[in-house]
Amino acid sequence: MSAIAFEKVVRVIIGSITFIIIGLLVAIFSIMFLKGFPAFHGDFLFAESKDFGRAGGVFYQLVGTLILMTTAVLLSLPVALGSVLFQTEYMAPGKFKTLLAQLTYVLNATPTILFGLVGYLLFGVYLDTGVSWVTGSMILAVMILPTLQVSLREAVEALPQKYREAGMALGLTRSSQIRRVILPQCFYGVVTGVLLGLARAAGETAAIMFTATTFSGIQFPQSFSDPVPTLQTHILILAQEAAHPESIAQAWGSGLVLLGLVFILTLMAWVFRTRVVMESDL
Amino acid sequence: MARYQRVWAGLILCLMVGFPLETVADTGLRVQIVGSTTVLPVASRSAQKFMQSSKVRIIANAGGSGVGIHSVAQSRADIGMASREISPDEKIRFEKSNLITHPVGLDAVACMVSAEIYQAGVRHLTRREIAGIYMGKIRNWKEVGGPDREIVVIDKERHRGTRHVFMNYIFGNALQRTPGTLLVTGSNNEEQTKIAQSDSAIGMLSFAWINEQVKAVTLRDQGKEYLPTWKAVQQREYPIVRKLNFITAGEPRGEVKAFIDFVKGPEGQKIIEESGYIPIGGN
Amino acid sequence: MNFSFGNYLSSDCSAVRNWEPLGWVFAGMNFIFLTCTMGLATFLLVESIPVWRSEGLAFWLGENWWVGETFGALPMICGSFIVTGLAVLLVLPVALSGALFTSEYLTPPLRRRMKGIMEMLAGIPGIIYGLLGVSFLTAGVKDVFNLLDGNTLFTAGCLLAIMILPTVLTLSEDALRSVSSEFREAAEGLGLTKLQTAWRVVLPQSLPGIVGAVLLGIGRAMGETIAVMLVIGSLDRVPGFNIFVSGQTIPSKLGREAAEALGSAEHWSALMGLGFTLFLMVAFITICGNYFKYWSGR
Repeated sequence: MSAIAFEKVVRVIIGSITFIIIGLLVAIFSIMFLKGFPAFHGDFLFAESKDFGRAGGVFYQLVGTLILMTTAVLLSLPVALGSVLFQTEYMAPGKFKTLLAQLTYVLNATPTILFGLVGYLLFGVYLDTGVSWVTGSMILAVMILPTLQVSLREAVEALPQKYREAGMALGLTRSSQIRRVILPQCFYGVVTGVLLGLARAAGETAAIMFTATTFSGIQFPQSFSDPVPTLQTHILILAQEAAHPESIAQAWGSGLVLLGLVFILTLMAWVFRTRVVMESDL
Repeated sequence: MARYQRVWAGLILCLMVGFPLETVADTGLRVQIVGSTTVLPVASRSAQKFMQSSKVRIIANAGGSGVGIHSVAQSRADIGMASREISPDEKIRFEKSNLITHPVGLDAVACMVSAEIYQAGVRHLTRREIAGIYMGKIRNWKEVGGPDREIVVIDKERHRGTRHVFMNYIFGNALQRTPGTLLVTGSNNEEQTKIAQSDSAIGMLSFAWINEQVKAVTLRDQGKEYLPTWKAVQQREYPIVRKLNFITAGEPRGEVKAFIDFVKGPEGQKIIEESGYIPIGGN
Repeated sequence: MNFSFGNYLSSDCSAVRNWEPLGWVFAGMNFIFLTCTMGLATFLLVESIPVWRSEGLAFWLGENWWVGETFGALPMICGSFIVTGLAVLLVLPVALSGALFTSEYLTPPLRRRMKGIMEMLAGIPGIIYGLLGVSFLTAGVKDVFNLLDGNTLFTAGCLLAIMILPTVLTLSEDALRSVSSEFREAAEGLGLTKLQTAWRVVLPQSLPGIVGAVLLGIGRAMGETIAVMLVIGSLDRVPGFNIFVSGQTIPSKLGREAAEALGSAEHWSALMGLGFTLFLMVAFITICGNYFKYWSGR
């Protein structure tokens, strides 16, 4: 009897812990909303930042974040797709293949600040691109490479073996099999990977704070060697240097925008992921 | 050489992304300003004003005084911002670049305490007392006439311009090691927040960051009193003052000169005042 | 590099001798990926050679970091270990309870939703955790423990615990789920209750996977920069056994000094040395974690 009671108590305890964890997400969102919403006057999203962040909005910062992460994904996607397809379709199992998979995980766990340090030295100083859009997107591209690879690999490996067999039976060459069978079938996996990569790039501050961003003076960058303003560094600088409460309110507002952006991307990735699961169940 | 490398990097990018090549070429006039976060608000606001009547694009970016000087010397930026003077070491290293400083404003650093301590009666501190606190010899506010509460000693990162001038005044050594430190902060706002959150903190900040929760104390030294007021600074009485500098490699020309003159001129000096600093005055 | 790579190709891919151009393109992409990873480590090592030369192993053991005089990384290394250890201690009971409840008591659709929530939580940018930490956590820690100041190793540990919670929870849940349902059915057939099954059968079976999950969480925690930087107090001092004092971790040191060090060769090299140390630590922990995860997967 007491065993059943004990069982119930434990169940309630770990159940409530789980609810507290969910509550954490809710709490973070509501705090961000409460703190950030007051900054949302009429056209916060569509106005230029003015007077050292005290007035205006974050339009160009938002645009900067968007273009930086998009370029990063555009640079990273071909490499990720190519390397994953090479590893899954061309390479026979072996030590080297395992090593490559391990490297993906190591790269994934590498602290982002290291990408910033090395990237700045390599691109910014040795290739002389300076603090710029190119430098930032290359650094971010390397950083999100493992994220993309993991999602793509999951998608490719989830394909039933019989698809490949059917392709082979039809006498398709390897490349036409990739083009006609594998790529179309992994479409949702690719989309998921891209969305997660975008989300990771959007949330990153440490790697770009001294390599790609600027505080003011740029609206749309006019060349690849221009730096861009971004939401992340806007928050950082306002939170660190602003002497006025209005600026701090703007920092919270920018935080809310950034959180919203990442949230939407992750949510979309999640929806596409369930599509993948459903398709592979068929 | 440098030009080629930049084009190369762009080319790789273009090949992979398929962007049109011509976007790589620099378009329009561009003035890049990098450096001290203390000067950044001034540069950012001035640039906004300046660009209303000019086609030049002025890009203002943070990084720190060291970065500002370094970038200018290596011609990665047109103007460097520094909240301190160029150090002898930097002067030697960048001798070839012929760095020139252009003071655009003045800033004064005060010894700050939490409002609770200020209200409890600590209105002034002597230089010796501050030194004792930072060296860890004085650990309780009651030793300097305050309440019986331990002191939260807040220091700044060793390379910060604010720390350089403050420590230079207190100890005569900008890089003084301070074993009494309990907490190290970086930017001004970070330190302001930490002093405000605490109820027994001491720290160093520019005048612009004085508010209801963070109070500046009067300094006493050899029988003299130095009130932390703008008036005292303007009359050249207050001792902990530093220049806010723009730095160029060689004499500025063209657009760069125009912008520096703008900041030194009446409109720019008004912006300096609005940002919480002191105009350089008819220079 | 090129030669050995070619060797691998011929030995591993002997089945496909006649590659189409596409295969070569993919091989090239793979090569880029390989260069990125290897290049990162090599770069950190090469750039830090001056500091290894001037300080030797004393770089890891020195207690003083005075730019221009001596570089000792011990305060940062200790700080990193203490903060990470704290985060794991704090997160472990919570994450395990959550994982156990999710895997054993929730229905599949709810479980998938829980995973989605974890993904959301994992996606929140570090800078936002930093903002929240500075505004609420430091003041909270100060009041609760009645401290002089709230910017302590403990605060950073708490913040990191929240940040790695989703990683640890999701991966442990995967490990618990990977135990085949035959074991569960057999145990229940023997008359064990659900909790007993979970505790005596499922948990021991999935232990390697959970260890792997925790190690991967540690890897995450060790590299976090922005959030830790804002709440840790940044004092370069070996903290001893008191966790309620300010400290410094390797990434927070890098984040604070990187921009300033760009000009000076020695300082930069010392920071790269720190970076290399961090890379070694994280890579080792991640490889161990993956090994455990792989082991449990079999």
